[in-house]
Amino acid sequence: MIRVQQEPFDAGEELALFTRRKDGAGAVVSFVGLVRSESGEVSELWLQHYPGFTERVLTAILADARRRFDIADALVIHRYGTLRAGDPIVFVAAAARHRRPAFEAADFLMDRLKTDAPFWKQERGDFGQRWIEPRAFDHEDAQRWDSESHHVAD
Amino acid sequence: MVRVLFFGRLGDVAGVSKIDVDLTAEVTSLDLLRSWLGRGNPALVEALAHPSVKVAVDGTLVHADEGVSNASEIAFLPPVSGG
Repeated sequence: MIRVQQEPFDAGEELALFTRRKDGAGAVVSFVGLVRSESGEVSELWLQHYPGFTERVLTAILADARRRFDIADALVIHRYGTLRAGDPIVFVAAAARHRRPAFEAADFLMDRLKTDAPFWKQERGDFGQRWIEPRAFDHEDAQRWDSESHHVAD
Repeated sequence: MVRVLFFGRLGDVAGVSKIDVDLTAEVTSLDLLRSWLGRGNPALVEALAHPSVKVAVDGTLVHADEGVSNASEIAFLPPVSGG
């Protein structure tokens, strides 16, 4: 499941709900991304998205994760709008019979979100405002999954 | 009427994030649309034509210089940064 929302979320609550639904799964891995303050320089992060299109791309990324890894389910929550340093911005969870696919699916989902999810981030602070674009190492992280060796057998 | 959307830094270059336009009959391709949208704003023409900028026509990414005559929404998407 994917959710794109402006409202804050409670990562602990989301994990508890997700875990409760996963009867039969032996492993749940989750990740929470927070807005970095960049040494106090950034006070706000503004995320723009493309309603409808963003949801479709996230759904496709999640479907790709399910094809690649032996997982029972996965959840992606991504926020948009104005966030403050320290706020949760993204939540990813994956459930599987065994731990390895759950770890790998969560890792894969985060790498893909960095490079493929249609969000545009603008940092705001005393310096004014600046748009952020993916860095070279984000693309390198995402490319790790292009190798066949990461297609996981149970 | 066509809705044109400029995301991220493209909105700064265009001065707006969305605009509804009546395309003239001769604006039939993305290439012509870029020039048409950026008339009087050469920085916008250049920004829209940058190889890193993707285009979605009616919610679907297009990879070549597709026709735009029947489009109702055209979005210009600079590199994304989710997560």
